[in-house]
Amino acid sequence: MTLSEKNFLIQQYRDTSRLSINHNYLYDQFADSEAIFDEIRELVVRGDFTLGEAVRDFEAQFAEVSGAKHAIGVGSGTDALFLSLKAKGIQDGDEVITSPYTFYATIGAIVTAGAKPVFADIGADYNIDPAEIEKVITPKTKAIVPIHWSGLICDMPAIGAIAEKYNLAIVEDACHAIGALRHGHSAGAFADTACYSMHPLKNLNVWGDGGVIVTNDDELARKLSLMRNHGLVNRDTCEMFAYNSRLDTLQAIVAKHLLKKIDHITDSRICNAAFFDRELMDVDGITVPPRAADAKQVFHIYVLRSERRDELVKHLIDHDIDAKIHYPTPMHMQPAAAAFQYKKGDFPIAEATCDSVFSLPVHEFITDDQRQHVVATIREFFAA
Amino acid sequence: MTVTVPFVAIGKQYEEFREEILQVFDAISKTGHHVLGPHLQRFEEAFAAYCGTRFAVGVGNGSDALTYSLLAHGIGAGDEVITAPNSFVASAWTIANVDATLVFADVGDDYNLDPEKVEAAITPKTRAIMPVHLTGQIADMAAMEDVARRHNLILIEDSAQAVGATQNGQKAGSFGHTGCFSLHPLKNLHVHGDGGVLTTNNEEVANKVRQLRNHGLINRDECEFWGYNSRLDEIQAAIASIKLNHLDRLNNRHRQIAKRYGDALSGVVRVPVVRDHNQPVFHRYIIRHESRDELARQLVERGVETKVNYPIPLHRQQAAAGLDYKEGAFPVAEQQAREILSLPMHPYMTEDEIDHVITSIKDIATTL
Repeated sequence: MTLSEKNFLIQQYRDTSRLSINHNYLYDQFADSEAIFDEIRELVVRGDFTLGEAVRDFEAQFAEVSGAKHAIGVGSGTDALFLSLKAKGIQDGDEVITSPYTFYATIGAIVTAGAKPVFADIGADYNIDPAEIEKVITPKTKAIVPIHWSGLICDMPAIGAIAEKYNLAIVEDACHAIGALRHGHSAGAFADTACYSMHPLKNLNVWGDGGVIVTNDDELARKLSLMRNHGLVNRDTCEMFAYNSRLDTLQAIVAKHLLKKIDHITDSRICNAAFFDRELMDVDGITVPPRAADAKQVFHIYVLRSERRDELVKHLIDHDIDAKIHYPTPMHMQPAAAAFQYKKGDFPIAEATCDSVFSLPVHEFITDDQRQHVVATIREFFAA
Repeated sequence: MTVTVPFVAIGKQYEEFREEILQVFDAISKTGHHVLGPHLQRFEEAFAAYCGTRFAVGVGNGSDALTYSLLAHGIGAGDEVITAPNSFVASAWTIANVDATLVFADVGDDYNLDPEKVEAAITPKTRAIMPVHLTGQIADMAAMEDVARRHNLILIEDSAQAVGATQNGQKAGSFGHTGCFSLHPLKNLHVHGDGGVLTTNNEEVANKVRQLRNHGLINRDECEFWGYNSRLDEIQAAIASIKLNHLDRLNNRHRQIAKRYGDALSGVVRVPVVRDHNQPVFHRYIIRHESRDELARQLVERGVETKVNYPIPLHRQQAAAGLDYKEGAFPVAEQQAREILSLPMHPYMTEDEIDHVITSIKDIATTL
């Protein structure tokens, strides 16, 4: 394998660019970027590239949109998680409870913060099951990282009660959940911090990597602001040796512009998801997960289950539909998790979920014809 | 007439490359392919060729290049890493970040680690030396390589200030096991935000860093080890490629300005010491004067912006309290911290601006 092939994302884009109903919609999203370019032209003349004015503006706007007191722009969603854990004092020997059904970054952030990830199984809604969390708490447990999978906020009042009982920190992985609500609250309401990614594939996305942390805790916000910038109080004084993870000013400009469209982006996804739910609910062979009545789920990804998943995904791709699998292997079964000594069968729901999930495109550029084509293709598959 | 001489002029460089850069924004934003794509690959190949190394790996910033250099060589808890106390804080925190013990050694007249002091600081726990090519002049790498070889140590070059600098014709970043570069906006080769790149001749290290920067992934669905997320964005890589084509010319302008300063100010203030066989790139042009603060104050009055890189040595930072270094532990670095002053330095300085800086320093120095 050559080094360039190790940049596997290149191949991923090549593989799917021939499909017409695609997960990647950025071409449409940024077809008219003149307003962004205008602001970038001003930025480059000022040279205000790191922690500039647009970062402060974006942070203020994002805090307001997510109903939090503070927002801190950082380099990525991964770093948002890592910095939050470090800011809460997570270190070597600590245990952090999370879901085995997530993207690698959740676990990467826990491990690189020095802690051991301890998994608790999920429920039918794909989110960590609060009852399972309580079973794996030990004297070493220091934090819980719930993931709001596919934009559905976890049962945070229940998780918050556990955290309070055992004096644990809560760092929410809200990378899928920009604009989501549950029990009337955004991510972060019941936590120390909530962490968002603005990777190009996220609902609120920038032109590269980017992330943001929200918190209601003044002291934590101050600490995170220092930690993302070498621990510097000012140019010449370093209060703590920390990290370098800043949201570029340029990316904050892109984020600010997209933030104006976030309601439309979210509403389109909810509308497309509701359409698929309705049209596919009765298809024998498809399982639509339970939808929480008290939630505004924002569908960063739209995930269904089928026992014939692999055949179905192939069938969809053959019919020009970019079906994906998020993700086929649970975290405890990854080669990287070998040292934690979990085995197959430890998390039966997560394992069954990984064996059967597939994702359909639900972004705001999907047309009604395309939605109909997706439904017809799936119905045809199961009728045959 | 009031003359103002700014310390840097990032905006002026943009004017030079404006059309090319705007095309990059437009082209990449249209594809929607922003992370780990063909522009990064092209920049990595060009940068490796420029530095004379087999591999270059783009990362999110210079600090992460240092962190991954340490991790890729298995350096961690219980290990000691020796570096300079007069650097930017990132050299120090990256060592602390991998749980290794931070050990400082004093510097020489050239602001770089003194090889004899390095050797004196070596213990059985020492695993690596991290020389910082401060101001854009390469540390004495023949001596560093000798020390590293004799004690079987990893050599990590903090080349953040030294892109394009040479020693005996060899480029910064090609001496050590890895070379670590920042592409921060203030650097000689810079992007429009944070960025970094790591060089190495070791394929295993290059592959490890490529995984470390991307969640430890082998492919989309398989994770070999838990890693980080620190990638050089496609847009930034494309901008870096554009500027790399012009780097030698821009660095030569730094050298010309340094020569003008040196010729005029030698004997007035202490001008930089350039070691034999070195071609620095003068990321910073640092003079020394006993009445530094007064000199700086009066220069501001004359519209000349200066900086101090850096006024508080790392071992005297609050963050270093746990290391128990006392005032006086590194007398050379401490003395320099009281006297150093960085003069305006960027490729777009006009002859009038250079003259104004020189005349002002000469005028003020006679009164101090």
